[in-house]
Amino acid sequence: MPGTFDKVAIVGGGTAGWLTAGLLAARRPDLAITLIEAPDIATIGVGEGTWPTMRETLRTLGIPETEFLRECDASFKQGSRFDGWVDGSERDSYLHPFTAPPASQTGQVLAAFRDGDETFAQAMSPQADVCARDLAPRQRAMPDYAGTLNYGYHLDAGKFAELLKRHATTRLGVTHISDRVDKVLGPQGSSIEGLLLAKTGRLEADFFIDCTGMAALLIGEHCGSGWVDRSDVSFNDRALAVQVPVEAGSPIASQTVGTAHEAGWLWDIALPTRRGIGCVYSSRFIDDQRAAELLDAYIAEHLPHADRSQLAPRKLAFPTGHREKFWVGNCLAIGMSAGFIEPLEASAIVMIELSCRMLAENFPERPETAALHAEKFNERFLYRWDRIVEFLKLHYVLSRRSEPYWLAQREAASIPPRLAAQLELWRDAPPSNWDFPQQDEIFSAASQQYVLYGMGFDLPASLARAPTAQGAVAMREKTRALLAALPSNRDYLDRMNNIAANPAAHGELAGS
Amino acid sequence: MSNHQSLNTKEHAELRIHTDHGVERGDAVMACLIVPHEFRQVQGDYPILFRRNDDGSGFNALAMLGFENGENLYLEGDKWDASYIPLSMSIKPFLVGRPREEGGEPQVHIDMDHPRVSTSGEGTRVFDEDGRPTPFLERISDQLGALHAWFQETPAFFQALERYDLLEPFSLDVPLSNGTRQSLVGYHIINEDKFFALDVTALDELRQTGMLTPIFMALASLSQLSGLISRKDRKENLG
Repeated sequence: MPGTFDKVAIVGGGTAGWLTAGLLAARRPDLAITLIEAPDIATIGVGEGTWPTMRETLRTLGIPETEFLRECDASFKQGSRFDGWVDGSERDSYLHPFTAPPASQTGQVLAAFRDGDETFAQAMSPQADVCARDLAPRQRAMPDYAGTLNYGYHLDAGKFAELLKRHATTRLGVTHISDRVDKVLGPQGSSIEGLLLAKTGRLEADFFIDCTGMAALLIGEHCGSGWVDRSDVSFNDRALAVQVPVEAGSPIASQTVGTAHEAGWLWDIALPTRRGIGCVYSSRFIDDQRAAELLDAYIAEHLPHADRSQLAPRKLAFPTGHREKFWVGNCLAIGMSAGFIEPLEASAIVMIELSCRMLAENFPERPETAALHAEKFNERFLYRWDRIVEFLKLHYVLSRRSEPYWLAQREAASIPPRLAAQLELWRDAPPSNWDFPQQDEIFSAASQQYVLYGMGFDLPASLARAPTAQGAVAMREKTRALLAALPSNRDYLDRMNNIAANPAAHGELAGS
Repeated sequence: MSNHQSLNTKEHAELRIHTDHGVERGDAVMACLIVPHEFRQVQGDYPILFRRNDDGSGFNALAMLGFENGENLYLEGDKWDASYIPLSMSIKPFLVGRPREEGGEPQVHIDMDHPRVSTSGEGTRVFDEDGRPTPFLERISDQLGALHAWFQETPAFFQALERYDLLEPFSLDVPLSNGTRQSLVGYHIINEDKFFALDVTALDELRQTGMLTPIFMALASLSQLSGLISRKDRKENLG
């Protein structure tokens, strides 16, 4: 058959490369997919937190949930908690859970919250109480990827890439070439004709996917797609990351914890065997030394048993921004080659998933339509990047902290005009689907509400009195039932890994 | 083999109960006790047979789950394949205990040696962190209360059946498709012909005492015998 357009070359491994290879192979078995990975490049591990979308992704790949949890030392993530973001006081904490508020009657639900004494997240979903007790979002007897509450995962990014690689090459028919790309063939600034590999020689393909991370070998160097800097809005450009082993049987938190500090924030991600902790900061406001002190102080406070002398934090510097075009000719950038922003809402992996979905469902049938697809893709993903930048900024502009960094975050010049306009409108009406009307909107109106009202933004004055407390009562009943039925994350994951329970912890002594 | 305790927030504060099903949860039984009040739900899934007490003092009603000891043909791994599970099974490992004092309220007791009692941190809590009953225990308490009350009414039902001589011995012997035979011996059912031959006075007495519904339901349940046999057939052919 003449003119078949079905050979795909993915350059770069890591989470982006292998997730793209696996998803594309699973959804488009008609394509011949080759992944070229340089043998000696260490991957950064773009993220250790996923969105609930990962469950559908893993199901599509055909990986059983238990296998995934075991292989990746993974745990359940039910949202993000933000400590110290409003004023830094002792009780300053709010949750952005993955489970959305009740679908109907937004006005009534908000009014019930206003008239009650619960936190916003508590009033909207049982998930807040479940998270506060370190409980799992599901029981082991449930079918894979089903849960009583919405959830994603925390995982070991290195092990995750290994699992994806093994699965893609042994089950999904992806060809793996371990080699270095010496040269991208074809005239600069236009479609790619092929790759010249150091050992393998010339490799041709119809379509190329750039997963080379910040190097952006194809989309940047060859295709010449420029970089749109967003550091005028998003200030953080450094991170110090460390992994701290935890004691057997210690609780496993249900959410990522982000704790604000004088010039950025610290992440805290709990896996069964370790905590991943990192200090994100802006080099304009504090130096590396100060960041190291903040990281050390956090570990001393939250993990008093850790041997801090043994920890060697890894320093990362990152630009904030994205390509002006993600798709040029027959080349698409996925992962950090497409863009990067601080991991405040774990947007890295979900952007890979969304890119793969759009590509799999819109893969060009012939070379002539590639440019038309590119136009649609670029429009959609520029929209998404704008929404991510704005949503992350929302976490800063609602703060009342007074350090220079936080004051600078609230300067009008650093706030995107669309966000400023939304904030003005939200004084009169809560965020709604009218504000976020697209398909697969990256941060829904519900997410905006969790941050907005979690941080104490005033509810619209026009909100009527809650007609009845019926909804709130039903919510509390559901919460009671879930708190009784869900096991702790630790018990779930240890039993899954055949680690026996400590009998004293479960009342066996009381029974004897 | 059992370790009965009176349920209390002190000793059982952290207690969790496995609420799923399976052989390892103590569900592998060939029959379970039922009360006439639940015949309507039971007959939708199971045959209802009667059996004389061990001491010969009266009869019990049973939902039949299998043909031999330890065989529950409704169990499929961790699923119980029926729309209704008889109360005497769904309340396990709880039971009604004697009141603390004469004439007092019956107590909720628990058999701590029952396999539904969890030691793994999984399962459903009985008390919440403040020592209040969870919705699970609230449901169990309701069920125990109902079962206790309805069980008191059971003798009257069988006395009525005996008074009108409606019980007849029942044995079942069926060839399975693999050539073996399966039998149930020593049970009783209601004699349908005798029942329909009752005079109006007798029928009216049964109606007024609420016995008609359980009688009809028990009769109707016998059509579930063929379902039970085909479950057995399927299992033998798979095994």
